[in-house]
Amino acid sequence: MSIQNLNTFDPFADAIKSSEDDVQDGLVHVRIQQRNGRKTLTTIQGLSSEYDLKKIVRACKKEFACNGTVVEHPEYGEVLQLQGDQRENICQWLTKSGLVKPEQLKVHGF
Amino acid sequence: MDDDMIFDPSLKKKKKKKTGFDMEAAMAGELSETTSADVPAETGDVDVPEDDSLDLDNFGKKKKKKKKTFFNLDELDNALPEAKDEKLPAEEPEHQDEELIDDLDLDIDYTRTKKKKKKRNLDEIVGEEDVKAGEDPEREEDQNGEWHGSDRDYTYDELLERVFDIMREKNPSMVSGKKQKFIMRPPQVVRIGTKKTSFANFTEICKTLHRQPKHLLDFLLAELGTSGSVDGNSQLIIKGRFQQKQIENVLRRYIKEYVTCHTCRSPDTILQKDTRLFFLQCETCGSRCSVASIKSGFQAVTGKRAAIRAKTA
Repeated sequence: MSIQNLNTFDPFADAIKSSEDDVQDGLVHVRIQQRNGRKTLTTIQGLSSEYDLKKIVRACKKEFACNGTVVEHPEYGEVLQLQGDQRENICQWLTKSGLVKPEQLKVHGF
Repeated sequence: MDDDMIFDPSLKKKKKKKTGFDMEAAMAGELSETTSADVPAETGDVDVPEDDSLDLDNFGKKKKKKKKTFFNLDELDNALPEAKDEKLPAEEPEHQDEELIDDLDLDIDYTRTKKKKKKRNLDEIVGEEDVKAGEDPEREEDQNGEWHGSDRDYTYDELLERVFDIMREKNPSMVSGKKQKFIMRPPQVVRIGTKKTSFANFTEICKTLHRQPKHLLDFLLAELGTSGSVDGNSQLIIKGRFQQKQIENVLRRYIKEYVTCHTCRSPDTILQKDTRLFFLQCETCGSRCSVASIKSGFQAVTGKRAAIRAKTA
């Protein structure tokens, strides 16, 4: 029989774990903006700064066959920009890759 | 509150078919999102323990009854094709195969339409109850009289009837049928030229929703990521091309967030500003909860950069 008291107990065990295995806190806003003509622009705001947005944008560009960039904003941090209406695509991709939970996604626009 | 919970599935069904833009549809749409997730879990633990609240108890019972009828149906349907198969095979072996396939199809269909079925059943049950109570209240009284001396247990049907009677007594609005609907006129959206869109009955819609035009305007513009203003004829001019459907979608979201009560889904609410936060006060159930503030968030540069530079410099 082991003595319970002598076991070392880490009170922050689950805190560390939860930040490790999962994603991020806060909502991810997916917006759409109209440009000239039929053109649109999709912005993804609120992705955790722990992620390498440049890598994400590189993967997205390839996946959706569109151009995209990372914009630095003083208030909102790094924001993804993708050409065209990629709202559906990006939502699926983010959830599939496990970066964001579906309930954290907030899609704006029409 | 409780009539909400009971009638919702049936209401939802009917309303979904409607194409007109009404408030209920908006609510129903979001409802289906939320309830579709909830329903399976609920059906999982059908056995609601003895609960004092009428509402919950009843809900659990309903589920039971539904289940019963559903399984019966299923069994019946399973039984029927088998019977056919027994008769047929000697004559047409090929047909049997076909029938087997049919059988499978049927099964699959059932699994798919499970939810719908249940809902329909619920509807039927409610309907039946209505009819019963309408037909013979006397007989019921007689029965009550009979029960008086004896110590036999109530049957499930009797209890169900009783519960419905009580409910009808307490909320007469339920007897008259569905709760009153909140129908909105669809937004009239017209294109002005190539780059602007007019939302003609904007103020009218604000009035039907009992919301400040400014609040709705802020929301619309933030969601659509454009700019716009209300002109002299009290119509809203939005920059960019938008169709009626798209505006409807945004309106639906607005209603979901800022008009309907988050607890009881009643549209009878007041939006108050209190210490920089908006609170939604429900007139029906008295709940009060904060709602998200309107933020336009990050806006990408879509215009000509040179023009912006010229302005700032």
